[in-house]
Amino acid sequence: MYGYRLGAIGIVCTFFIIIFSTVLMPMVLFNPKPSQHGNTYEKTTLADAPRGRQVFVREGCFYCHTQFNRLQDRGYGPLVKAGDYVYEAPHQLGTARTGPDLTNEGGRFPSEWQKAHLINPRAVKPGSIMPSFAHLSNQDMNDLVAYIQSLGDNRKPSAYVEAPDEYMATTEAGRKLIARKTVDTNSSAAANAGRGIYTQNCAACHGLEARGNGPNSISLEKKPANLTRPFYKQYSDEMYFYRLTEGVTGTRMPRFGEVLTEEQRWYLVAYLKTLQKDKEDTVDSLAQIDKVEDIKLPVLSHQEYEPHAGQ
Amino acid sequence: MSAVSVPSSVFDRLLSNEEGSASRNFFLSALWWSLWGMGAGMLGGIEFSMPDLVHNVSQLAFPHLRMFHVNAVAIGWLSMGYVGSMFHMVPTLCKTKLWSERLGNFTMWAWNILMAAAMATLLNGNTEGREYAELGAVIDVIVMVGLIATALNIYMTILDRKVKKLYVSLWYFLGSLFWFPLVYIIGQRTFVSLPGLNDAIVGWFYGHNILGMWFTTVGVGMMYYLLPRLTGAPLYSHGLSMLGFWGIALFYAPTGTHHILQSPVPEWLKAIAVISSIFLLVPVLTVLTNFFMTMKGRWGMVVTDMPLRFAVTSSMFYLVTCVQGPFQATRWVNWYLHFTQWVVGHAHLALLGTFSFILTSSFYYSMPRLTGREWHSQGLIRAHYWLKFLGFLLMMTVLTIAGLIQAAGWQLGYPVDQWSLAIRPYYFLRAISGVMIVTGQCLFAYNVWKTLYTPVAGATVAAGKTKEVKV
Repeated sequence: MYGYRLGAIGIVCTFFIIIFSTVLMPMVLFNPKPSQHGNTYEKTTLADAPRGRQVFVREGCFYCHTQFNRLQDRGYGPLVKAGDYVYEAPHQLGTARTGPDLTNEGGRFPSEWQKAHLINPRAVKPGSIMPSFAHLSNQDMNDLVAYIQSLGDNRKPSAYVEAPDEYMATTEAGRKLIARKTVDTNSSAAANAGRGIYTQNCAACHGLEARGNGPNSISLEKKPANLTRPFYKQYSDEMYFYRLTEGVTGTRMPRFGEVLTEEQRWYLVAYLKTLQKDKEDTVDSLAQIDKVEDIKLPVLSHQEYEPHAGQ
Repeated sequence: MSAVSVPSSVFDRLLSNEEGSASRNFFLSALWWSLWGMGAGMLGGIEFSMPDLVHNVSQLAFPHLRMFHVNAVAIGWLSMGYVGSMFHMVPTLCKTKLWSERLGNFTMWAWNILMAAAMATLLNGNTEGREYAELGAVIDVIVMVGLIATALNIYMTILDRKVKKLYVSLWYFLGSLFWFPLVYIIGQRTFVSLPGLNDAIVGWFYGHNILGMWFTTVGVGMMYYLLPRLTGAPLYSHGLSMLGFWGIALFYAPTGTHHILQSPVPEWLKAIAVISSIFLLVPVLTVLTNFFMTMKGRWGMVVTDMPLRFAVTSSMFYLVTCVQGPFQATRWVNWYLHFTQWVVGHAHLALLGTFSFILTSSFYYSMPRLTGREWHSQGLIRAHYWLKFLGFLLMMTVLTIAGLIQAAGWQLGYPVDQWSLAIRPYYFLRAISGVMIVTGQCLFAYNVWKTLYTPVAGATVAAGKTKEVKV
């Protein structure tokens, strides 16, 4: 009999020790301070973002979209820190990425695009498997768009995406590259020269104002980057140069290293550096979002969107 | 036990005092909710391939289906089936009756009401927004009532026992019924609002321990009960079984943080989680050694004995899932595989491959002993087995491949649009596997229906089945 009592006491004790060490201790020892970069949901921008968060929770968006990016996630924006999550209850860290990460989603697309994407995802993003959320009320949808546009809004970069070593001064190849560079990428004259090169080579996809909305962008599955985003302020000269030279894997961005000379590319870097705005300005007024209601976008097949795919 | 007692009143009908009725009713309710839960999973899987299949019906949008799928198979199918199995196994092991059949039937009704409420709320998006803890406050309270009533019933039955020694299954059941109500209270966070990352830490403590302190421990306890009974062989080693029990009790509970290894939570917590995840190999291999040595020389029995075949398949999948698990929890493997469909495959390997199979085995073993009726069709049981087994293997394979493609996509810096096109064929195959599994489950339900609800002559009642093999 004594043996069983000992066992029962053992079950109780081990369990309480474990609860103490992995549930209670973190509550006491782990209290990150608000980082000023996380979303406080205090200011309301164009609609009710805190209410939009409730819609996000209710519709279960976090089952497919995560809200923390990791070191290896190139192109998902600045890394998160512990203090960014202080106001996030219940947490929406997410569990699997069936769709893209939303940590820094705010401002990646215009609000009209976001709303059209909620109504009919495949009209604006062929090949997407996201369900349509056309069943949401107009207010729900506006608030949800406001919440999406607020994601990562306050986040400042804490770690930077850098170009591979052969473009940096840490290697012999990188030092030679920088030694050959004659263009002052901070001068307005160089930027002016780069503007012409941009208009000839980049504007067809990225648009004259570099918002990623050039005429060719309609036919591209992976949309061109909106270079006016504050996010691109973190890019170093070398990072821009690397992207221009080698293109972007998995997109239609070509390897301009085979088209433009090194000097031309440096001029282009000087121009691209001048494009970023201080704040995301793709978030538009409520009246502008509402316009999208009337637009009935055609559902095109993969073939119709990318007529030259595979050729 | 098969003695006919005519219910005298509505009260007796609803809260029957008939021996074995609580267990039987729990089994049947579990089967009912499994059809809904697995059906929701199947429809969700089909929507991956045909995203415009359901349009403008918010109740059938994928995220709502997913919430309901997880809760219906976890709280409905598996948990109700587990309680049904315990209500049958514990009295048999203690050579006594269940402490209170009425309380058992009351628990069954409470559980069914909460499942109906869960279906109504989750499909409409009334969720707390916490993965695996979506149920609202009122439903949480009913779950707690159900769990405490079950624990009381089982504990009192064990106190009433006619044998002195506690068999290892009873240890597992006792432990689970103490741990799980506590894990549930802590993990649901019903009335508290914690800051984001603390919420995540508690959330994954719960998300992993609903598996570790409930599905695993009760499931392994059921395997310890079923394997010796089905093969007629004594358990290989009692010492090993105790080592396995204490190993699980020690190492399972702190592992939850391995789900958020790459988020900014404290490093020491991650270290504890990774180390105990790896240590989990010890109890798992101990338990499986015990099972496989018990099976030694009797593997051929799986050809004819269908419940045994389900149980052995379950233990094989347990081996695979528990070897995968600790390696996925290490940082470098997690770095590559986290967030991908591989993890979805792993979760199905544990809950569908291992615990759903052992519950099905228990169902096929217990039901004739509870009702005194032989199975209507052995052929249907075989069809159920093969549909579920092959369907699951297909699901596991395609999710694993899809996960590797996704992982490679991130590794190479491909945007999501590219690899999501590449894994579309695998989503299609997954939908097919879902159809296979649900078809199998429907055949199972049909077999149960024909067995229990067609009148039989007294001669075919399997009196011999009620005799138990001594373990």
